[in-house]
Amino acid sequence: MAEASSQIAAGAPIVTVNHVSLDYRGDKEPLPVLADVSMTAGRDEFVAITGPSGCGKSTLLRIIAGLTKASGGDVGVLGSPVTSPRKEITMVFQNFVLLPWRTSLENVTFALSSRNDLSDAQKQEKAKGALDECGLSGFENVYPGELSGGMKQRVGVARALATDPVVMLMDEPFSSLDDLTAERLRKDIYSMLINPSTSVKTVIMVSHNVEEIIELADKVVVLSHRPAHVAGEVMVDLPRPRNKKSEEFFGWVDKVYALLS
Amino acid sequence: MAEPGHPLPIALVMPGNVRAGQVISLVEITGGLGAKIDAQRLADELGADLAVLLPILDAAEMLGLVKSEKGEVSLTDLGIKFQKTSKNKLMLLKDKLATIEPFRTAMVLASKGKPVTAAQVADALGEYGIRWHYKQELNESLVKMLLVHWTIYAGLMSYDGKSGKFQKA
Repeated sequence: MAEASSQIAAGAPIVTVNHVSLDYRGDKEPLPVLADVSMTAGRDEFVAITGPSGCGKSTLLRIIAGLTKASGGDVGVLGSPVTSPRKEITMVFQNFVLLPWRTSLENVTFALSSRNDLSDAQKQEKAKGALDECGLSGFENVYPGELSGGMKQRVGVARALATDPVVMLMDEPFSSLDDLTAERLRKDIYSMLINPSTSVKTVIMVSHNVEEIIELADKVVVLSHRPAHVAGEVMVDLPRPRNKKSEEFFGWVDKVYALLS
Repeated sequence: MAEPGHPLPIALVMPGNVRAGQVISLVEITGGLGAKIDAQRLADELGADLAVLLPILDAAEMLGLVKSEKGEVSLTDLGIKFQKTSKNKLMLLKDKLATIEPFRTAMVLASKGKPVTAAQVADALGEYGIRWHYKQELNESLVKMLLVHWTIYAGLMSYDGKSGKFQKA
């Protein structure tokens, strides 16, 4: 699948979300959560999804991941429909979701458990490489409880990268971190993910932090209040690294806020 | 660490709640904001409480990365070099870290050939009244966190979580 993705031109869609809707069906009336949501994420694109609290941002991410079934519409990755979790799609969670009784290396290696094409030594090698890519060389034998929040999230990213994903989904990846730690990880994350040494071809991040979004994203998809539809899309045309103090930066922040309000 | 019977030289002590990544961020942000910046403005820019920022500033100053005069913070020459280094920044601080507690004592104990635990380092420092917390368990835990978060990045020590032991890298 990684080979197929390498033949796709820059900007061509890797992920397509077509008219996706979701209703929660209770005993009484169905509760519509997502209504006719369509979006794409192209090759080498960092896409952010934002919207009001509780509008269904994370739910949409779970649908893209194949973890939640949509009531209507469809999601495609590299041209084939997503109906369940797939190996080329991976996810980084807000609260890290690491196994506390396993070391960093064991947590990353665990993600490769189902790779029967790799020997144990190859799995370890791959996991070490992913930890190194995320700036955690030397921390292989450290347990999650001995790591800071930023380091735990780096292990989470390393675990995701080790599986050679094409699509990286991130659900509020910085919101459990203190400001300074989050600032540091944000600075690193773009180059950690979108670079020729990784298999990642597109990133979709859910966040409520508009400045964080403008710092990282090429495209912002703004969802409305529930039932969420796409209120608008913003293509962020700012050179990297982005200066968070510049007037231009705040201009883009304002554009997103205008769609949110 | 001084030999038994000799006083411990005046020690620089790393604040227990400061992590390497926070100091790196502080230096990068300070450098990006101009020559000198008021500490309160720095806290505002970071969206951090001044009470959170001050120990990080203390650590950065102890490491020789920033200087703080009359509430104004600026980068030192080392701080500027540190800011411009893209990879393994903490390697630049290897020698300096080895003079700060609890890293200094951990290095001295480990230089005797045997790997050391955080509890051994905490006990040795406790004899000189250096503690990060009055409860023994929490004190040991803070010493372990400091050793893990600083010495591995700086290439001073390696750590094996299964045995809980540190040794010289």
